[in-house]
Amino acid sequence: MFPSTTRSLIGASKRLWAPIPIRSLSTSSQSSAPSSEKAATTPQAKPETTATPVAPPTAEQPSELPVKEWSDRLGAFGEHARLPRSVQALYLRPLRRKAEHGLPVCDLQLRSYSVQNLEFFADFAIRAAYYLNLPVSGPVPLPRITERWTVTRSNFVHKKSKENFERITLRRLIQIKDGNPQAVEAWLAFLRKHAFYGVGMKANVWENESLDAGKALDASLPEVQKTVGPHLARFGQRQDSSVKETIFDSLDSERFAEPKNL
Amino acid sequence: MSQSRILDLVKTQCRIFSLNFNPQRLRLGNKILRQRLRGPTLAAWYPKKTVSFRDLQNTYKPLGLTTFDEAEDDREEAIQIAKLRGKGRPKKKRTAAESRSAKKKK
Amino acid sequence: MSKVASMFHPKRLDLSGFVNTRLIRDHNKRNAFAQMEPERQALRYIIRNTSLPQRTRAQAQLQLSQMHCYTRPTQIKNRCVASGTARSVFRNFRLNRFQFRMQALAGELPGVKKASW
Repeated sequence: MFPSTTRSLIGASKRLWAPIPIRSLSTSSQSSAPSSEKAATTPQAKPETTATPVAPPTAEQPSELPVKEWSDRLGAFGEHARLPRSVQALYLRPLRRKAEHGLPVCDLQLRSYSVQNLEFFADFAIRAAYYLNLPVSGPVPLPRITERWTVTRSNFVHKKSKENFERITLRRLIQIKDGNPQAVEAWLAFLRKHAFYGVGMKANVWENESLDAGKALDASLPEVQKTVGPHLARFGQRQDSSVKETIFDSLDSERFAEPKNL
Repeated sequence: MSQSRILDLVKTQCRIFSLNFNPQRLRLGNKILRQRLRGPTLAAWYPKKTVSFRDLQNTYKPLGLTTFDEAEDDREEAIQIAKLRGKGRPKKKRTAAESRSAKKKK
Repeated sequence: MSKVASMFHPKRLDLSGFVNTRLIRDHNKRNAFAQMEPERQALRYIIRNTSLPQRTRAQAQLQLSQMHCYTRPTQIKNRCVASGTARSVFRNFRLNRFQFRMQALAGELPGVKKASW
């Protein structure tokens, strides 16, 4: 079916880019992935695999080249090779940590106008939380916010002819339970760094203090004074101010004082 | 607990949390101090100026680089043509007398 | 303090997009209000505070009423950003109803679609 070995090598080097993670699902060593799932996950790659095998040898376009299966290209090596577990996990449902106490620490609300973006990013956030060792309670679909506007079609008169517009905001809630506050912060920073287009984020973070918070406050007082001191030092009256009287003098002046004869 | 004790308690509470102690419920206008300032949000209604082509031209000119603004060139050319045809803008009247004489000519 | 509106005009126009005399005027009013708002609020506080002497409060009233009309929030009117129209402007989009329709049909407003139910 395949032409000379050099041709197939060229084809392999050309095809190394995009479809590898998709095709790699069906490696021969990994028989866990069913063939039906492969068909579902590779809608673009499918027609390429069934491309004409009698393509002229001078044709350089990769779409016309016959393509070997991923396992075939690896040769004997493919029998023993497999993808890293973390990459394999991308094709399965996201893993989750188990919450020990179930104490909510962070509420992340995702908002978007499109379902695909929202679902994708919620999935991404849950996977990220797993690797940060944060127990998460799954994307809860919150009620949609539907806004509708009715406007006159024309810019002038014709009041009876109108048009309706709407904007539906979809929401998902992701709750982190009893995670380390620093890990939660790192998770939120990671999500902000890899923010997805068209998806807005809003996070409520709760911190828990021990019961003797007053003692902790007392202990942290010298630290606070050290940081606040320079700011407080800027307050006060200027030495070279032209007004000689103090604030008390001006408060006692006729304008502020209560008239005596009232 | 007596009334005065409760009042003392409220007074101390207000002192600690820097609140206004106002047992007679006088109108002290404190609600105005609590309002947030609306100015910045109101002033941000219209889109602020961004970089225009002219700014780019002005920054490039001192560097000895030339820029081409076709729309501006077209406009200037049209003005020149209009001037040659005698259809340019009238001269600015600087004094009252000038403007009066211009009106009389009609 | 002179009562000329031109004192609120900026030296250079700091707006982009659609520009219109009435729109610029409204913009100037907004800036004037933002600039003088603390003073207005202070005067308003003095007026409302019944514990202050009556004379002070009356003076504050006078001062507040004698401030330039551009510093009053009631002078501000929401105008369409794309056409300068002052009527039926949606606050969410800062657009006039007609501009809203045109932009929504052109797909320039994210998430806004034609609805039928």
